Amino acid sequence: MGIVELENVRKIYPLGKVQVEAVKGVSFCIEKGDFISIAGPSGSGKTTILNMVGLVDQPTEGEVFLDGKPTSKLNDAELTRLRHETLGFIFQSFNLIPVLNVWENIEFPLLLGKTRVGKDEKKEWIDHLIEEVGLSEWRKHKPNELSGGQRQRVAIARALVTRPQIVLADEPTANLDSATGEQILELMKKINRELETTFIFSTHDARIVDIADHIIRLRDGLVTENRRRGEEAPAACQGESARA
Amino acid sequence: MNTLANIALRNLTRQKKRTVLLGSAIAFGVMIVTLINGFAGAFSANVSENFADLMAGHVFISGTEKGADDEELSVIRDDSALTAAVEASGAPVRYVTRRSSFSGTLIFEGKKLRTNIDGADLSKETFLRDRLLLKEGSWDSMSDENALILSEKIASRLNVGVGDLILVQLETVTGQANVGEFRLAGVSYDAGIFGQMISYANLGYVNRLIGLAPDEYQTMGVMLDGLRHTEAAADAIYGRLYGGVQLFERGAKDEDGAVTPFQALMRQQKKESWQGVKYRLFTINEVLSQIEQIVAALDTTAGVILVVLFVIIMVGITNTFSMVMFERIGEIGTMRALGVRRGGVRSMFLYEALFLALGGAVAGIALALVAMGVISLFDFGMDSPAFIIMKNGHLSFFLPPLRAVGNVLIIAALTLVAVASPAGKAAKLTPAEALRTQK
Repeated sequence: MGIVELENVRKIYPLGKVQVEAVKGVSFCIEKGDFISIAGPSGSGKTTILNMVGLVDQPTEGEVFLDGKPTSKLNDAELTRLRHETLGFIFQSFNLIPVLNVWENIEFPLLLGKTRVGKDEKKEWIDHLIEEVGLSEWRKHKPNELSGGQRQRVAIARALVTRPQIVLADEPTANLDSATGEQILELMKKINRELETTFIFSTHDARIVDIADHIIRLRDGLVTENRRRGEEAPAACQGESARA
Repeated sequence: MNTLANIALRNLTRQKKRTVLLGSAIAFGVMIVTLINGFAGAFSANVSENFADLMAGHVFISGTEKGADDEELSVIRDDSALTAAVEASGAPVRYVTRRSSFSGTLIFEGKKLRTNIDGADLSKETFLRDRLLLKEGSWDSMSDENALILSEKIASRLNVGVGDLILVQLETVTGQANVGEFRLAGVSYDAGIFGQMISYANLGYVNRLIGLAPDEYQTMGVMLDGLRHTEAAADAIYGRLYGGVQLFERGAKDEDGAVTPFQALMRQQKKESWQGVKYRLFTINEVLSQIEQIVAALDTTAGVILVVLFVIIMVGITNTFSMVMFERIGEIGTMRALGVRRGGVRSMFLYEALFLALGGAVAGIALALVAMGVISLFDFGMDSPAFIIMKNGHLSFFLPPLRAVGNVLIIAALTLVAVASPAGKAAKLTPAEALRTQK
């Protein structure tokens, strides 16, 4: 079993009096350390799937396994703890906390949860991340004093600060110009290689699709393609039969 | 500081105008209430202190003598035991006064008016001249034996002027009808509802009118260094008198429908039987116990104003925080995704409201203290009709610290109640809902 597995996942939203089926029975498996692109047009269910993998939303049917453990029976507090300990998030609109500066935004997830990190260790780690994302000169600046690219770098550092197994990135380059988007992708790929962090993207961006190890394409809430780079057969985790 | 509390505090600076407006509304409410509380706090002390000056004492001892046919005479014939007890009590005594008084009818050119007349030794009670300012006439004219000082209102109702002769009908201490004649020496400024009740004449002449000897009197007044010493001094003097002279019991209960402890004492006196002179000791606080009811009414009014103002302000706070929640919905989603629990989101909003309330309340109290300082600088003069509630002609304030703390706590609690609903809604949002709804 992989680090993430979806088993016949369906998601139905009530939209007024109408029920909208955003995800119509999706199954796939993601290996640890992969750089995965979930691609598809708008409304295909990318963000919904990412939300369910990120435990910020629950499937109407089916099961999401994280590191082999089912998540559908967990209560809100357990889901919150699991998110905090296992997942990092990068959002399309950066979603930094406006009243905190760069250093504080990155530190924020470390102040939540029960695990306390030593002061010196914490400082060293945050300084390292700030250096990695190239914002050493900007550590005292508030988000509104940064460019879009800089904000996304802060978001990347924040996503990594708890050393999560998985980073979920929802259209991370959508609000960036192409040059900045390129830099951000290179940065994430570098981190993926160095820290073996699993990156799962939802994206329209062809550049992400091009560098992904594993591509999952969606259309109308269904998986239309699920393969590893350079392979024709549907992708499957070790010990699992292929699902597509 | 807790991370979420820190964020909540910083969030207050995001919409400065909104924060200032809400904070000002809270501060204004607190200021008004604190001013009323401050006024009420000083009201009791001021009235009691001023009244103590007019009555010439904080602690009083009066004597009641049973005659042969069981009639009661209000008289102190020999005060050596009383004087010794006052001296031995160790109380901080400024001076001791001796007064007689009666309730009689003043008659002038067909006009009649019933009033109390206090006989005082004005050569000794020089402080009365400072307390009771004359509108017409002079204190020097009080050297005439039958001189009289009336308040402005009484003089006006009788239509008398300085120098006029006024007839008085009264009863002596033994119940005999008697008449006398006063010459109006002065008209004092009205001292509010309390000051109007007392007119002043010479002790010797009053004694003669009521049938007492020149060296006798009815009430000894013990003026202390301040109102705060009253009860301790009364206890000490009572302790010294106890066993040496016949004494009525102190602290009589409010029985038989008595409104004040003083009335209860008077009723107790009527019920008892004794031989010779029996003394009763009472204090200005017992005489003016109804002042406490006025203070309680003022404090209740302040409390009602506090609640009414805050119900209005709470509506504003609830609406504002509902708007704030909607504005920050993306942040709520982000925080929930990053690992903040529902309770954490709720706490963040509650912290923000609490800081706003505390900031507003502290500012309101500070403004009220400044306002009290400024108002107390104005000198309304001792001739002000409201002088009885003032301190040397100035409005004075005393804010009991516990009341200020209580007001702050009430405001903090009401603000938290006002924010509970939007904070609860924010906490109930699932991270996905919040992230989907963000602008």
